[in-house]
Amino acid sequence: MNNLCVDLGWRSINKHGEQLCGDRVQIVEPSADSVVMVLADGLGSGVKANILSTLTSKIISTMVASNMTLENCVQTIADTLPVCEVRQVAYSTFTIIRMENNEYAELIQYDNPLVILLRDGKSFDYEKTAMEIGGKTIYKSKIQLKENDTFITTSDGAIHAGIGMSLNFGWQRENIIEFMEMMYDKDFTAKTLATILLDECNKLYGYQPGDDTTVSVMKVRQRRQVNLMIGPPSDPADDEKMLGLFFSKEGKHIVCGGTSSTVVARFLHQTVQPNLGYLDPEIPPTATIKGVDLVTEGVITINRVLSYAKSYLEDNEEYSKWSYKQDGASQISRMLFEEATDINFYVGRAVNPAHQNPDLPINFSIKMRLVDELCQSLKEMGKRIKVSYF
Amino acid sequence: MNVYVCVGSSCHLKGSYQIIELMKKALEENNLTDQVSLSAAFCLGKCTHGVSIKVDDEIITGVSPESFPEIFQKYVLTPVKG
Repeated sequence: MNNLCVDLGWRSINKHGEQLCGDRVQIVEPSADSVVMVLADGLGSGVKANILSTLTSKIISTMVASNMTLENCVQTIADTLPVCEVRQVAYSTFTIIRMENNEYAELIQYDNPLVILLRDGKSFDYEKTAMEIGGKTIYKSKIQLKENDTFITTSDGAIHAGIGMSLNFGWQRENIIEFMEMMYDKDFTAKTLATILLDECNKLYGYQPGDDTTVSVMKVRQRRQVNLMIGPPSDPADDEKMLGLFFSKEGKHIVCGGTSSTVVARFLHQTVQPNLGYLDPEIPPTATIKGVDLVTEGVITINRVLSYAKSYLEDNEEYSKWSYKQDGASQISRMLFEEATDINFYVGRAVNPAHQNPDLPINFSIKMRLVDELCQSLKEMGKRIKVSYF
Repeated sequence: MNVYVCVGSSCHLKGSYQIIELMKKALEENNLTDQVSLSAAFCLGKCTHGVSIKVDDEIITGVSPESFPEIFQKYVLTPVKG
């Protein structure tokens, strides 16, 4: 076993004027240490393409998840999928990436643009074996994984971006490689890298994509733990126990809430030094306690983190705000969304009597609901979440 | 003299940001930035009557943009100018 894990993020845009996307990404985790990503691109666009790609990706991911060999899955697809009546060609093209134990990746590629592998930020030319399955040429590879390996899978909408508009022949795979080598930063998440490439394609299309376009990124990284405490325990006698456990955990420590930070400062024999800078008028300033990586206000800050989390899971629009700003919510967002793979929440259930005022939108039940929703969103990002209540 | 403005959740919602800005401006206009140190404070424990400020050891609650000039005069300007 190693301490690596896979960070996976993808985004699609629809062909201009279409309601449905003809590309489909399916992700399955057959076991704790293996993950399978299937990107299928249905022929044509709209409803038909959507059905074809859904069918293809769903069949493959279901079969792979029940431990059938990739060859078997491909054979089944080749035998079962309908042939398009108009064009007399079949179904949908696809790429399968299966990562096992974070040690090696198996790639099966059928007619999608070839997967780009960036190793330490530079394009790495991996070996491919051509095979015939059901009369179709399929490329197969097996690659030993290294930390920071970044697999970029796209539908052909990506390499066609800009045809006849800003570029004569679209931008080729080489141009995408050049672009991604230039944009690469080892701290970017898979989702961020996917967003960067997709936004560029969309721009080349003049924001009217001529084809469904999808970018899926899988990135091999180290596991990293972050711990977040919010609220003092309901019984003050548990202060020592809760904080003892919290500070015994490896990784960064975030403390949210005014009362919590007072309790923490007492525990650490330190003082809370609030910072005066209101960097965002809507988010209360942060504070400093020696021995804690970040101290923020509670409910209002977490509420903003939750809205950033929801945006990250959708179109990632708010990235331009939280990715660099120094207010409490942006800092927490970077630590939880980008740095962390494993997050431990320490949630105290003390009720702040002063907040149980009907005029204030920050009462106890709202705090608990915010924590629940945030945990849910972080799970959807693929993080491992543990919540302990006190 | 030390002046603290509470930036806890409740006071924040009642306008700590505005009070800090007003306080900064008032201190500058009266050339008091050398004599009065302004900082933020996490919850002063008077959440129901925010915005709370603390001048040295005295907590003053219910500070709003309307009541600010009077409070500034009474608790900061007069004591400092002696």
